[in-house]
Parts: sequence; structure tokens; C-alpha cells
Amino acid sequence: MPHLKKSQLLIGGALVWIFLSRLFQDDHTLELSTSENTGFTTAVGDAAASIRGNRTKSAAFIYLFNPIRATINGFVEAIRTLISVPRGNAIIPLIGWFGVAAIVAFTVYATSRLRTALLATSLLLACGALGMWQFTMDTFAMTFASVLLSLLIGIPMGIWAGLSDRVLKILTPFLDLAQILPTLVYLAPLALFFLIGTASATIATMVYSIPISIRITSHAIRNLNQSPIEAAVSMGSTGKQTLSKVQLPMAKQMIVLGINQTVMAALSFVVIAALIGAPGLGKPVVDALIIRNVGQGFVAGFAVVFVAILLDRSTSAAAKAQEGFIPPTPAQIRNSRIKLGLAGIATIISIFASRTVLSLAVWPSSINISSQVENVTNSATKWITTNLYIFTVGFKDFISNWVLNPLETLLAFSPWYVTLTAIVFLALVIGGNRVAILVTVLLSLIVLSGLWHEAMITLTQTIVATLLTMTIGIALGILVGRNESAERILRPFLDAGQTLPAFVYLIPMLGLFGPTRFTAIATGIVYSIPVVVKIVGEGIRAVPASMIEAATAAGSTVRQIITKVQLPAAKKSILLATNQGMIFVLAVVVIGGFVGSGGLGYLVILGGSKPELQGKGLVAGFVILLLGVTIDRIAQASARRV
Amino acid sequence: MKFSLGRRSAAASLVVAGALVLAGCSSSVNDSADSASDCGTWAIAMHAWNGYTASAQVVAEVAKANGCTITQTTLEEAGVTYDAMEAGSIDLIIEDWGGGRWQEWVDRGAVLEAGDNGNVGLIGMYVAPWMAAEYPDILDSANLNKYADMFKTADSGGKGAWYEGPPGYTTIGEKMIAANKLNFKAIATGSEAALVDVLTKAEANKTPALAYFYTPGTLFIKIPGLEQSRIKFPANDWSDAAEASGLTDYPETQLQKLMSKKLMDSGSIFATIVMNFKWTNADQNSVAADIEGGMEPAAAAQKWIDANPDTVAGWLG
Repeated sequence: MPHLKKSQLLIGGALVWIFLSRLFQDDHTLELSTSENTGFTTAVGDAAASIRGNRTKSAAFIYLFNPIRATINGFVEAIRTLISVPRGNAIIPLIGWFGVAAIVAFTVYATSRLRTALLATSLLLACGALGMWQFTMDTFAMTFASVLLSLLIGIPMGIWAGLSDRVLKILTPFLDLAQILPTLVYLAPLALFFLIGTASATIATMVYSIPISIRITSHAIRNLNQSPIEAAVSMGSTGKQTLSKVQLPMAKQMIVLGINQTVMAALSFVVIAALIGAPGLGKPVVDALIIRNVGQGFVAGFAVVFVAILLDRSTSAAAKAQEGFIPPTPAQIRNSRIKLGLAGIATIISIFASRTVLSLAVWPSSINISSQVENVTNSATKWITTNLYIFTVGFKDFISNWVLNPLETLLAFSPWYVTLTAIVFLALVIGGNRVAILVTVLLSLIVLSGLWHEAMITLTQTIVATLLTMTIGIALGILVGRNESAERILRPFLDAGQTLPAFVYLIPMLGLFGPTRFTAIATGIVYSIPVVVKIVGEGIRAVPASMIEAATAAGSTVRQIITKVQLPAAKKSILLATNQGMIFVLAVVVIGGFVGSGGLGYLVILGGSKPELQGKGLVAGFVILLLGVTIDRIAQASARRV
Repeated sequence: MKFSLGRRSAAASLVVAGALVLAGCSSSVNDSADSASDCGTWAIAMHAWNGYTASAQVVAEVAKANGCTITQTTLEEAGVTYDAMEAGSIDLIIEDWGGGRWQEWVDRGAVLEAGDNGNVGLIGMYVAPWMAAEYPDILDSANLNKYADMFKTADSGGKGAWYEGPPGYTTIGEKMIAANKLNFKAIATGSEAALVDVLTKAEANKTPALAYFYTPGTLFIKIPGLEQSRIKFPANDWSDAAEASGLTDYPETQLQKLMSKKLMDSGSIFATIVMNFKWTNADQNSVAADIEGGMEPAAAAQKWIDANPDTVAGWLG
């Protein structure tokens, strides 16, 4: 029974760890005062300062970074002039709101069907009604530009990785890394080279979305039915012919699905991008955080959700439209052509109208429900924060005193070598030699960076948030997995929760829990629950019905079925969900630096605004990455070993 | 069906292309737009605190009335914004508290100092006013340790909680705690929102709190007695936070205006307005209070402009 042994080892290890930690508490914690630099962070800071100083002089800037920046800026600005910002002395952009709505309706109609087109158009108009038209158009422009550029790079690379094992092997570590990396982390390094503004934001978005496009494209190519390809090869097709005539057409649906995922990834960046001066819906969200206007944050947040649903539904509908195998009759083709033609003419007329009639060009200010939405959310939040404050503070204090503080003492206030050894031991038991070696290297790098203590503070918060997320997430996941109507009810909330920017509810969380570590934890929980519920729910649903029937026939109660059959069978999904949840939590816990959670996230933010601490901030960003990989590797190993 | 998407996408592209052509050459409502004056388009950096919004909005409204096109971009302070000025995407910081942290950018000619804005800033550590009333001697920094236990929270590691200012602000809390041997722990609050939250709740619920705050600010209007609840540390002896020993208090600071080289060289009326802009803490507070009270920033600024035509006329040179 190797399984039993493993758990005994883990418990034994934990006891030794706690004992050693008590014995040597507060020794060698590597604590560093916030304003203090180490030799290393000073050196990084100096390097950053010299990069800044060379922006106008060095060849790398003149011939590489500056032209890239100018090109991307120009591209995004061109799209904005078209739909968002008036050019020169004009008072409207080239196409007014009515024209844009018509183009969206037509494009969605042409690529999928009427119902989706109507949905997309109403969502777009809802953004207008929220008073967010121009911000929405800016977000469209940013998303369009970054998705287009991402696909230009991602699809060819994905095809290459799909055809060549070697390329895939080289790319995989980078793809993994990009998915672990919390978005807050790479803003500062990018801004160093591409300065603040649209270009940096676009490139940051691309860093996030290109890996997804590569991954899905290569996956699509790799998982094709092999027989048509073999047939083509045996009939003498060249590699190029096979690719363009057989593989790509067959993989088309998956690739379009990849476009969908790329769009969603780009969109999830919209708020973070505003932190480095990108135009779009992120701007009012960040403004709202600054002036503590919860309502304004939610109004903009809703617009983000609407845009997300719009883009998600229309791109996934386009992917679905490729599924059909029944060839249409000539009459049907003629019919659909006529409809399409009429719709096209109507669109052109609408565009023309949006340029000649002022009320169709500029969103009419009379159609604006933003202040009502603002008031409702503000008073709801106010009621919650004043009336539930006592409970929330009680809960916060309970978790802080009984979970957060003891764990923090164990991880961050023990000697670094005790904590490091303990984590490596954990990795060894769970994942074996290779994982243990990797974890040793990663943790040693964190020690060398000088930010060990802060890293352990962040790790503590991540673990506590993940524990709470899993407790709630598994419960909801079971509910969703067992009960279809519960799934139908929860689904929209889960979808919205996945797209609503975490910044939006950072402020209400602040109201509920004050500037504490728990505010960051609570935000992380809300952000990561949807993904956990979805994965666990799917796992529960995938448990074969025959197993459950057998258990029922044997007289098991519902509780027994859940605990003895469904949960063990879904163990892999639960571990996978834990892994995903932790990565999501980490991404948000570092944002908690904005509301008093301290740790690495705070250092990243601090580095952005205090020039003398810029080096420390950059190093902190890198340490977050190291920490993310450590967590991911251990969690993945435990999922693999099931 | 196989080719259907291709044809449909082709049709879609055709319409979009048609739209672009239309957009390019057809007549439009734009033709009837007024032609703006030659002031140009300028970008103001918007920082996190309410007083800043007040100053920036007033400058923006005055500039717009004089034919300028003004954009406002929310940005973190200092490095990020100086970089943006160097990149040409920001032209003005209307209120900067950092004594000379911009020197590196000034040396490169990327950022220019445009003088005092008339506001005087004073940072300090404040207790909730009810505490100052109940324990009058708490306002002397020497007595803080006596009360440290009261300030303990679940997050302060067994010491008193010392709520420190946001990242971009001038903060020397850790040094003050160390130098004065205070039994407190600096807790990073991350944003002005958090500080306001701490002090407001503490006063409302009569719970203890010690937090960083600063004048000018509208919180002093909302929490009566807060201004008198400032902890007195030994008299200040520094101006550059990096060189502060931590033993002494924060200094009074003349808040600065910074502008981009592009703006300075343009000779635009906006450059003149910025150079001449100067007002008092009371002025800023009145506009900021209106904004806090729910008025749109632009409306609050306009209200002040209408009430102070002479001051505004003076800025126009």
C-alpha cells in the first residue's frame, strides 16, 4: 500500500515542520523592510534606470522598440479613429454608433445566424445605454488589434508546432509559463521598453493570448482523424498540399474555437491594461477604484461582461456554423444569398445614416441608465457593507487568527531553510525526484532574490484562499454536477463571474473587510470559484451512470453516493481544479497589493511608483513567476499521480 | 455547406470594405463641426486622490474654454507618469508631492518643472478623533507605545496597526517606527480608498485606528476633529524622504506642477495656463468637496470657475 505510506510521510513531515518552526520561530526569516533594497534589487534598479536613460540614444530603441511601438500605436489609433475617436476637428468618429451596431449585426449574421446577431446587437446597445459607448469602442479597437496580431503570430506557430514534435517540445515550457504568469507581473518590464500607453498594453495582451492560440491550433492539427491525411499522402500529395487541402480545412472548426479563446484571453486583460494607460473599459473601472465609487465600477464591469458575452457567443457560434455536414439545396443557397444581400444593403445604408444624422452618430445622452445602475449598486453595497460588516469582520478575524496567522508563522516566520526543506520534502513525496529538484532550484532562486519573506507571505495568502475556494467550489461543483437545473441557474453567474474584472469587486471587498490580507483573499476566492465549479461539475457529471446505479441498487444514500462514488471518481478533476484555482488565486492575490494585502504584489505596485524601488518591484514580479511555477508543478504532480 | 462560410465571410468583408470607403468619402455631420482654435490637444495625468482631481479638472475646464482639447488619463504616480511624459502621452501633472524624485527625467529634458501650484501639503499620522478626545496625551508621539495594545488587529502581528500611505505617496512609516522604537507594525494600505475606509469606520464605530493622512483633503470636512488629531513627532528636519532619519515629522511641502517638454515648447495657451495656475488649499477643498458630494468633476470645477473669474483671468496671462 504505497498510498498509505505517502500520507503517513506527509503527516510525519508536517509534524516535524511545525516542531522545528516553533523551535526557531523568528530566526533567519530574511525579513526585509519595505523601503530597503538588497544588492541584487539595487543592481536591477540601476539596470532599469540605464534602460530608461537610453531610450532616446541606444540603437535597440531607435531601430527596434520605438518602431514597434509606433507601428502598434498607429494600428490601434487607426481603428479608434474609425469607430471611437473623432479625428482632427471632427465631432464624431468615421463611423457613428448606429453604423457600428449595423456592422456587428451583419458580421455576426453572416458568420452564424440571426438569433446570435440579435443577441450581439442588443448587448452592444446595452453598453451604450450604460453610458459606456466610447469606452466600449476603445475596448473593441484594442481587442481587435491585439487579437489580430496574436493570431498572425499564433496560428502559423501553432500549425508549425502541430506538425513538428520538436517545435512543440521547445514551445511547451514557454506556453506553460505564460499561462501561470499573473498578468500584473509583466506590465512593468514591458513599460520599461515600450513606455506607457497603447503599445505596451497591446503587447502585454498579446503575451497573454498568443500562447492560447498556439496551443489550440497545434492541438487541432494533432488530433485530426489520420485516415484522410494518410489517403492524401498515399495519393502523392506534397506536405504543403496535405496541409492546405486536408489538414487545415479539417482543423478549421478547432482553429475558429482557438480564435474564440484568444479573444476571451485578450478581453480579460482589458482592466489590467488600463493600469499602463490603455484606452477602453478598464479606465472607468480603475478610476472607480481610485475614487471608491463602487457603482461606477460595476457599470463599467457590466459593460465588460456584455462585451465578453457578445464576443464569446458570436465567435463560438461562428465555430459551430462549420459543423453542419448536410449540404444545402440550391434553393436554400439562393435564399440565403438574397437575405445576406439585403442585410448588406441595409448595413451600408445604416453606416451612411450614422455619418449624416447626428443622433445616429453620437450616442444620444438621453438614453443613459448608468446613474440608475450606479445608484442601485451603490445603495446595495452600502447596505451590505454597513449591515454585514460585523459578521464579515468576525469571519475575517476568525480566519486570520486561526488559519492565516498560524500558516504565516509556519511559512514566513520560520527560518527560511526550515520552510524550504519542508516544501521540497512535500514536493518529493508528492511528485518524486524530478519535481523535488525543480522546486529546490526555484525556491533557492527566491532565497537569492532577497524577497523570500514576502514570497512566503504571498504563498500563505494563496494557500488560504485556495482552501476556502475549494471548500465552496467543490460543494457548488457537486450541486452543479448532480443537478441539471442547478447548473442552468448557476451557469450565467459562473460565466459572468469569469469575465467580471476582479478590480470591480475589490472595492466592495475593501468595504467588507478593510485594508487587510483577507480582502485580497476574498477577492481571489470570488475570482477563482467559477473555474473550480465548472471543472468539478464536469468531473462529477463524467462519472459513469452505471456506477451510480450500482451504488443506488446496493442501497447507498445520497451522501454515500457523493462521498464514496462520485467524489473519488472525480478526484482527478478536483485536483485539476485545485491547480487551476491556485493559479487564478495567485493572480488576484497579488492585485490585493492595492488594498493592503502586502506581500509580493505590493512590492510590484510600489516599484511602479517609487523610482528608487523599481528594481525591487521588477524582482518581485519575477519571484511571483517562480512561486507560480512552484505551486503549479507540485499541484500538477499530485494530479498526475492519481 | 463547406464553402458557405467562405462566401459569407467574403460578403461580410465586402460590406465592411464598403463601409470604409463610405466612411472615407461620403459627406458627414463632421463637416458642420466648428473648427477648434490652435491650442492643440493635451493630456493631463490623473492621480489617485480627490484633491488632485479637483485641480486637474479646473485646469482642464479653463483650457477647454480657451479652445484646447484635453484628455485625462488615470495613472499611478511618479515613475509611471514621468515615463508617460517622456513617451509623449502625458503633458501635465498638476500636483506632485515628491520632492525631486523626478530629477532623473528633468536631467534628460523629458520633464520640466512648472513651479508651485499654491497648495501646501502636510502629511501626518492621525488617530480617530474620538481617541484624541478621550486620551489627550496620545497626540504626543512619545506616548504612542502606552496605547499600542489598543491598536492590535488580526493583521498586525501582535503589535499596534500603523496604516501606512499608498505606494506612490511619500511614506517613511517604517523608519518612524524603527527610529522612535514604536511597538507598531506598518501595514501597507495600497490606496487612499483604504485609508479613508479605516478612519471613517474607526470614528463611526469608536474603534481605535492610527493612519496616514494629509492636507489638503476633504476627509477633514467629513470627519470633524480629524485635523486636530494629528500625532506630533519632533519638529521636521528633512525634505528628501530618502534621507529622513525617521525620528522627526513629515515636512510641509509646496506641491509642484510638472509639464512635458512638448507642451513647454508649443507656446500654446495651455502652457500659459499651466505656468500661471495657482490656488489655495481652501480653493481645492471646495471643489473636492463638491466632487465627493456626488457632483460631476466637470460641473464642480465649472462652479468654482464661475465663482472666481478674477483668479481664472489671472491664469490666462
